[in-house]
Amino acid sequence: MSGVEAVGSVSEIEVRTPGREAWRRLRKDRFALFFLGMFAAFFLIALGAQVDVLLEGRGNPSYSKSLMEMGYAFEETHHPPTFEAFPLGILGLDWNGRSVLLRVLQGARIAFMVGVLGALCSIVIGMSLGLLAGFFGGWVDALVVYVYSTVASIPYLLLMLALAFVLKQGDFARIYRESGLSGFLSLGLFNIVCVIGATSWVTLCRLVRGEVMKVRELDYVNAARCLGFGNLRILFRHILPNVFHLVIINFSLTFVIAIKSEVILTFLGVGVDKEPSWGQMIAYAKNELMQGIWWPLASAGGLLFLLTLSVNYVGDALRDALDPKLKH
Amino acid sequence: MIGYILRRALYGIPVLLGVALITLLLFHVAGGDPAAMKLGKNPRPEDVAALHRSMGLDKPFPLQYVDFLGQTVSFDFGTSWNDNTPVRRIFLRGLGPTLSLTIPAFLIGALISISLSLFVAFYRGSVLDRTTTFLAIGGISISSLVYILVLQWLLADRWKLFPIWGYEYGFGAAFFVALPVLIWVLLTVGQDLRYFRTVALEEIGRDYVRTARAKGLPERRILFRHVLGNCAIPIITRLVITVPFLITGSFLLEIFFGIPGLGGTLYTAIQNSDLPVIKAFTMVGTILFVLFNILSDVLYAVFDPRIRLS
Repeated sequence: MSGVEAVGSVSEIEVRTPGREAWRRLRKDRFALFFLGMFAAFFLIALGAQVDVLLEGRGNPSYSKSLMEMGYAFEETHHPPTFEAFPLGILGLDWNGRSVLLRVLQGARIAFMVGVLGALCSIVIGMSLGLLAGFFGGWVDALVVYVYSTVASIPYLLLMLALAFVLKQGDFARIYRESGLSGFLSLGLFNIVCVIGATSWVTLCRLVRGEVMKVRELDYVNAARCLGFGNLRILFRHILPNVFHLVIINFSLTFVIAIKSEVILTFLGVGVDKEPSWGQMIAYAKNELMQGIWWPLASAGGLLFLLTLSVNYVGDALRDALDPKLKH
Repeated sequence: MIGYILRRALYGIPVLLGVALITLLLFHVAGGDPAAMKLGKNPRPEDVAALHRSMGLDKPFPLQYVDFLGQTVSFDFGTSWNDNTPVRRIFLRGLGPTLSLTIPAFLIGALISISLSLFVAFYRGSVLDRTTTFLAIGGISISSLVYILVLQWLLADRWKLFPIWGYEYGFGAAFFVALPVLIWVLLTVGQDLRYFRTVALEEIGRDYVRTARAKGLPERRILFRHVLGNCAIPIITRLVITVPFLITGSFLLEIFFGIPGLGGTLYTAIQNSDLPVIKAFTMVGTILFVLFNILSDVLYAVFDPRIRLS
């Protein structure tokens, strides 16, 4: 036998990267895993609904057909949840006799579109401005700080309403309709995404700027500079990964703000108009509830609650897991 | 100190100028021609021109901007397009009902969230703490619209505990405002509770708490004297920052419960494209926000000697 005996191959030794460390901590919280699973389920539903829309085309999708048109015998349009026409009827029929189940599942698609696109919008604006301001300092920083303190000074709801209102009726709406983009993303949805993007980037920008200002003074950044790396390379390869946890956490916050705003904007008549969104179903419920028709509200409100809860909970757990100061 | 306040206030001026610019650009440029909006479809060209002159829209944009700043400074935004009432009177008319809703809601909410957060911070890690935090997350995950719809339907329509709709000036307001106040408290307590709990827990982790424990002070005394004293600053500043929102009101609550306040007025104005009212609200809301931000910074500096006033 030769003297050296291998203790184990490299693959057997657990490599502790920050990402794995965070996942290890997240895994400890069973609730977080449960809600992560719930979020994944919602994502699959939304994906399925999107595939369904692509397959059925724009003509007359099944979520906009009444169950009578589909050949089921119902006497009234507003039918409470029933096992007839299973599974289409389990959440009841809405005021047009359409399946609440199908519409609510489509609503998940709209919620994800609004949430993901809105959060992406705000991340792109907030992250890039925050990186620029924190890294370059000087007049760039002064300008960015001025812009975000101005935007943050307008009461959020007021800015959101005013923007939505302007986008809806100005020349902009006409240009958008003519551009052909509306075939992909309806004007109402586009409005909401724009409004969310334009109003919710400030928090992230502020956080990223502060963190970048700290990180850029660290030794490894100086080392990179000594090696002659350019600003862009330092910014994107060396600084960005170290502030990216802020972006991940912010994604969950903005996602929630976006789907909640969709409900309010749609209720006020400046949001989604064509597609079946949760906001729309909740808005209709204003008149339906007083007639004792509770199931559209219960379905849409319940799913909205579950999705928001799962994102909120996972976001909280992620924040703790990604925080290197909290050692478990 | 006075120098600091002045500097802080002066910094608010460019922000206000920026907000005025955004508002004007938003409504006069991006939103299309306001005159066309007011006159409806197919107006006569001479009517549009006359209206442009009377609204000052024939002037170049920089001059319109100066006009708008003048309106803001004198708080004279002209008259509503809807019924020609002066905007100032609309504003003052709505202030009372809004405050009768928001002030009690704010006080009750603050009382509940502060005491509850200290309580759960005291029993941190226990089942009680975990349940409350979980309920708080659950509470903030419900859409505000769902809260309003369900509680109005259940408590007012079905159980008839509260009036569904309406308002009365004077002491009778309490009757109509009770349910909206309850909903406002439910809407805000979860968020505030989470924030105050984090603040309290952060303070509990500090060195002076360990020192206090090391010299044998009872936990209760540490919490209510030492920790609460240091938490007071972030708590007060957060409460101060929310004051402007008490004045702009909650438009959802006011629409649903028929309270003739500022939030409902703004909603009607947006529905009717009533530009003077919308512009006035944006500017007043922003000015209040900037003022109270300055106030909260100043309070921070007053209460916390560690903050250098340079």
